[in-house]
Amino acid sequence: MRTTELPAAEATRPRTVVVGALMATGAVFMAFAALVSVYVQQRQQTLALGEEWFPSGTVELGPAGMMMMTLALSMVTVQWAVQAARAEDRPHGFIALGVTLMFGAAVINQFWFVYQDTAFAIDGGRAELLFYAVTGSFIAMLVGAMAMLAVTTIRSLLGPFGRDLAHAVQASAMFWHMCVLCYFLVWYVVFVTK
Amino acid sequence: MTLTDSPVAESEAAADAVGAAAPASPAETIGAPRGLAQPFMTNDAAQVGRLFVISSLLLGLGTAAIGVLLSLGRTDAVAPDDLFGGLNAYFRMWTLYRVSFLLLVVMPLLLGLAMAVMPAQVGAGNAAFPRAALASFWSWKIGAVIVVASVLAGGGWGALDGVTGNESDAMALTLLGTGIMIVGLLLGAIVVATTVISLRRTGMSLLDVPPFSWSVLVTAVVWLLSLPVAIANIVVIYADLRGRPAIAFGRPESPDIWLQLDWLVEQPAVYAMAVPVLGIIFTAAGAAVGARSSRPEAMLIVVGLFGLLAMGGWSQDYFTAPQDLRDGLVYVAFGLAAVVPVVATAGGVGELAMRGSKTLDRLLDTRMLGAGAALKLLGAAALVGALRVIEPLDLLETSATWAVFHGVVVAGLVAAVAALATWPQLLFGPIQPRLARGAIVLLFGGGGLLVLADLASGFIADDPDLMALALDGSAALNVVALIGSLLVAAGLSVALFGVASALKPSAADTPEAAGSEPA
Repeated sequence: MRTTELPAAEATRPRTVVVGALMATGAVFMAFAALVSVYVQQRQQTLALGEEWFPSGTVELGPAGMMMMTLALSMVTVQWAVQAARAEDRPHGFIALGVTLMFGAAVINQFWFVYQDTAFAIDGGRAELLFYAVTGSFIAMLVGAMAMLAVTTIRSLLGPFGRDLAHAVQASAMFWHMCVLCYFLVWYVVFVTK
Repeated sequence: MTLTDSPVAESEAAADAVGAAAPASPAETIGAPRGLAQPFMTNDAAQVGRLFVISSLLLGLGTAAIGVLLSLGRTDAVAPDDLFGGLNAYFRMWTLYRVSFLLLVVMPLLLGLAMAVMPAQVGAGNAAFPRAALASFWSWKIGAVIVVASVLAGGGWGALDGVTGNESDAMALTLLGTGIMIVGLLLGAIVVATTVISLRRTGMSLLDVPPFSWSVLVTAVVWLLSLPVAIANIVVIYADLRGRPAIAFGRPESPDIWLQLDWLVEQPAVYAMAVPVLGIIFTAAGAAVGARSSRPEAMLIVVGLFGLLAMGGWSQDYFTAPQDLRDGLVYVAFGLAAVVPVVATAGGVGELAMRGSKTLDRLLDTRMLGAGAALKLLGAAALVGALRVIEPLDLLETSATWAVFHGVVVAGLVAAVAALATWPQLLFGPIQPRLARGAIVLLFGGGGLLVLADLASGFIADDPDLMALALDGSAALNVVALIGSLLVAAGLSVALFGVASALKPSAADTPEAAGSEPA
């Protein structure tokens, strides 16, 4: 067999989607970290004056802990989706993406419960305003992450599995993990320390 | 003739300027949209970059005109209230001038240059995510229109003298527009950074990328880590402003909104605009004298260090007592250390001049002139910034703050003109040297006078006055500032005229006729 008859080597395509998503993830994390910093700083100032931050008994840890558990589970399922996409395993990939989306929807539902439970008014004070700013921004991020996953889910249903899709799922998963990290900040800063 | 000014060294310098022989971009090879559809449909990031450059130069002209009016208001000729129709209107224009130079002019201008030049330098046919590049341009453009329209409708970033009617709603719109603009710029930064990281040609390590490409990578990373902090500020302000009555962060009747965002136009964050300027200076100077640095890795370190010192999201004095923040070791260290990379850049340019051709023609080349002028302005800004953080000089809350701002902004404009002369084939074609030189001289003169007037006023002022409604101490300083503003406006006009001339088919087709310099 002559060398000219050998199949050409596969072109090494750069993982532009993953690199781009990494950049975007870093930027979104910086925005959220800045938001949490403002929250922490304002809370510290208020407490230093001997004032109360949230009225006692208004912010419960139970639902927040449940959301933390839900999102922790979603980290496993989204990574399952990445693995399935790498292995070009369509059924598992589809199930993993669907379950992850369901977990995301569950967290939004639980946040709705928290909003009803706390019944804060946005102009009630600094604490209430920043509570909505931080949690609302988190929900917006989560919706963005779900949209990314939904697009990759639809692509996995319609098109062939392959390197491009694996990269897209990997990029979505990266953003998802960042969202969970951000929720961990929310859980500790807003709900645990109150 | 020494070894260093051999044709080989010269061709290497030219390669730094132009980059690797890049394959034709997809837009050139596949039927690209033409005519009016082009700005809306183009798949060519270089085309998007050119759109950024032209739009930001046009907006720069408007911003410079506001600067002239503000300077006129400082003089005794007209009272600011009479000129703008009230204290609030003056404050709106004062803040618009600063935000505009930052987000509507210099940042998009340098981003546009990056999109147009960098892919060819790193050997990529096109930038990564060309559709995202187009989305970046239009997001920025739409945000800019919203900001300008809402400010003219009574919005802006707070007020000094209460609010009436729908001004609070207009302010919310201004915040929204500001956020959209920042998102657009961030999208562009992602495109630029991803292109350098992922799409550079095989065999080119990050240490091998040309100075300008390296500088835009550093800039993109700095923007991606800094600008989102402003988004967070805007989210908090907007939520408060819309939740009536506003309680703490979005009170429309006070300047609080501006005070939460002014860190963007103050040191150290303002230096983020100037990081690509270092890349342009290295490349333009190298191309002018036909030499390459003997220590390219030192250049990478210098640019990286400047990028590190330009990270400014942490320096928000609204949330920390200003004295705690600005007397802090980190703030002072950042202010002083910013001089180091600029001095190192001067050393690098000096080395290039020594190694390269020393003929008078080369040393007076437009690119060398532009590199030198941008370096001097940036050096002046960094020096004033260092003086500003020295506590006994008491310059912190004075107009010296705007000396730094003006130095950086005008250095960016001068560097952009040098870039137009350095990469004509990647931008708009050969720009007439006399126009480029004229623009550089006018901008340099104007920027220098503005820095001088603001700094001198900072020293003379009895009381801190950040707005510098009138430059204290001497009416002469106010006139100097007015002349400086006029020169900057004139320089921008000449630069735009140069671009317009270069766009004419006759000028582009016959560079010899236009008397252009060789690349």
